[in-house]
Amino acid sequence: MLQLQNVHTYYGNIHALKGISLEINQGEIVTLIGSNGAGKSTTLRTISGITPPRTGQVLFEGKPLNSVPAHKIVSQGISQSPEGRRIFANLTVRENLEMGAFTRNNKSEIASDMDRVFELFPRLKERVAQRGGTLSGGEQQMLAIGRALMSRPRLLLLDEPSMGLAPVLVDLIFEIIQNINSQGTTILVVEQNALMALGIAHRAYVLQTGAIVKAGDAATLREDEDVQKAYLGME
Amino acid sequence: MPNTQRYVKTGGIGFAVGAFFLWNYPNLGIGAALLGGLVIAALCLLYSAPLPDMIKAGLIAGMFGAVMTIVYGTDKPGVAIIAGMLSGLGAGLLVFQRSPQANPKKAAILGAEAGAIAGAWTALALLLTAFVIAPAAGVDAGEFAEHLSETVIFADALGLGSDILILLFAFAFSTLSAAILGAAACAARSLPLRPNIPLLAVIALPVLLIPLIDRAGNLLLLDALIPIYIFILLALGLNIVVGYAGLLDLGYAAFFAIGAYTTAMLSSPHLGINLSFWLVIWVAAAVAAIAGLTLGAPTLPLRGDYLAIVTLGFGEIVPILFRSLGGGPPSGTLTLRFFGMPIGIEQVDLTGGNKGINPISPPHLPFIGDFEPSNKIPWYYLLIVIMGLAIFFINRLRDSRQGRAWMAMREDELAADAMGINVVRTKLLAFSMGAMFSGFGGAFYGAFIGAIFPSSFDFSVSIILLCMVILGGLGNMTGVIIGGLLIQGADKMFIPKGAELFRDIANERASATGSSTVGVSALQDLTQQRLLLFGIVLVVMMLVRPEGLLPNERRKAELHPDDDTINSNSVAAEAESDPSLAA
Repeated sequence: MLQLQNVHTYYGNIHALKGISLEINQGEIVTLIGSNGAGKSTTLRTISGITPPRTGQVLFEGKPLNSVPAHKIVSQGISQSPEGRRIFANLTVRENLEMGAFTRNNKSEIASDMDRVFELFPRLKERVAQRGGTLSGGEQQMLAIGRALMSRPRLLLLDEPSMGLAPVLVDLIFEIIQNINSQGTTILVVEQNALMALGIAHRAYVLQTGAIVKAGDAATLREDEDVQKAYLGME
Repeated sequence: MPNTQRYVKTGGIGFAVGAFFLWNYPNLGIGAALLGGLVIAALCLLYSAPLPDMIKAGLIAGMFGAVMTIVYGTDKPGVAIIAGMLSGLGAGLLVFQRSPQANPKKAAILGAEAGAIAGAWTALALLLTAFVIAPAAGVDAGEFAEHLSETVIFADALGLGSDILILLFAFAFSTLSAAILGAAACAARSLPLRPNIPLLAVIALPVLLIPLIDRAGNLLLLDALIPIYIFILLALGLNIVVGYAGLLDLGYAAFFAIGAYTTAMLSSPHLGINLSFWLVIWVAAAVAAIAGLTLGAPTLPLRGDYLAIVTLGFGEIVPILFRSLGGGPPSGTLTLRFFGMPIGIEQVDLTGGNKGINPISPPHLPFIGDFEPSNKIPWYYLLIVIMGLAIFFINRLRDSRQGRAWMAMREDELAADAMGINVVRTKLLAFSMGAMFSGFGGAFYGAFIGAIFPSSFDFSVSIILLCMVILGGLGNMTGVIIGGLLIQGADKMFIPKGAELFRDIANERASATGSSTVGVSALQDLTQQRLLLFGIVLVVMMLVRPEGLLPNERRKAELHPDDDTINSNSVAAEAESDPSLAA
């Protein structure tokens, strides 16, 4: 479904991604794990067009995305819950969700998608008229994911969904991610919490200083000694 | 004790105002200044006292009517009728703002009460003018009676021969019309209609009647009202850029200048092009919109303070450009070198330099003919039509997809991008739409004044417009209109007329006591202190009510985060108890 072929991305002179190739198949949950500064978020920014690649190809369903501007990526079927959630703090929960459906016009479809988001996140329904900024961290994360779902993406990009959340909420969020996937949305999730991410993903890539150092089945990588040492905190 | 605090604060404001007058007008006598200070302090205290909403609404709205009556009343007592209508309308709207009613009947009663209180204030001010202020300003009873019968409309028709009868009639008319308009406004607002046509009709009624009353009473209010309306139109355009899209523009007067100069160049004998105003106003708006794009394009990556600096520079460049594009020695050849090749360009006096362009052709309509500078009524109605269209259009724009894109961009540009919003387009559209409305304003201004000068488009114009938007309530059109009415009303009506009145009173006192100091010095002239007064008002406003008089809900929430403390605490607690953060 999505292919990155030898992608190099720069921030000015800084070489952030040094030839990344990865593939995501229809219906999968794929996770990108790695430490701080490994290039996980940059990979997502490259896919979503915010920081386009300097060389290499990004293909979505066979079509190149390299020169598609960021705001058009959404209507191609990819949406993301950005790093740090970035919900609209002064808009209500409902308005945030409506904003997620900005590229769409069919009102009845939007309404039914909103119901679907409320089914996934009943907490959001309780807070529908509350301002985004007044939600707790977990609720804000739910809102960010829900908002990304409102564009009816075929591929959902999640950047650090566990960041800053209590463990019990992390479990809940990951459960919901699996739930969304089982309803047919392909998901690429970037995580520092490697244990959780490997727990729900089908496949995984390990990033280190801008390059992929390991790839494979999530279950296999979980047993991998290097991965355990570096990212799972096991000796 | 929050209440005591409020009393101290408001009493303090009253005292400060009293002291200001005492210092300012020493020859009014300490007694008069003290009295004025005491009255204002009492009003402030009354306002902060726990009174029913209708009394407060009536009090606030009535104050404006009363001040208007006092400053105009000595030579034009008929103004009390317009002041009464407007304050009644204001009271009705205000009382609904403070205590919304679902039942139109109850709303009508509440509005009538508030309106009657406001109208009574205005009427009392008329009596005060008749018996205290006019004599103090040296207008004797006979002279005042003449003013009264000249300016109070219907007085002749009703055959009110005696002055006292006319005064009583004006008193009753002012109070009654205020009560009726207050009731109508409050009742109309309680109707759950969208768009609320009855409400619009109630507001439109006095607005449309003003020129007729003005003409019947020969009040000459339109001379001040039309420029006020033009500035409100400009502020509405600026509100798109600053309020909706969140782009701080400190050079907005540039677009006003571009609109006005486009009109002047295309519709005057100056360049020999004399197109019809009805065509030129569209050209002016289009040129201003294109200018908005040219400002927007290079500033795309800039935000906040940086954008403000660039727009400030733009606002300075444009009037200078108009100043230098003409007014030089007549005819001559400017030689430019293009890759060494001399090219002669005949120098054309495009803009008239410092002298500006004069005259500009007025609009022409069948039946009415050319709009005359002496008859302001067609101008007034034309401006009302332009403003009505602008308000309608901006309203629709705000509720459209584009409006939502502006809102998202204002909140968080990156997130807006991630939602699939084309941020580049959204920004450019905000600049060009905002500029377009000031193009309309500029075109009308040029034709109305009949001449334009580069000095009319100073930095101070941009700042006054920004003050109107912020004082009224950033992002809220009603707020911006009210902010505009207050600031421009003070600037063009209350302060100059008030200064005149004070000068008359001071002169009268001086001649009565045989003192040699006649009149007031320039330092004591209220008009010289208008910027000082604005400054004080702005400082106080930003401290007391930073969201503006009628805030946009979201802005209010941003500026008063205290209400959210419970939730933000829970966020902090959650982050603390989270071990994954440390990992």
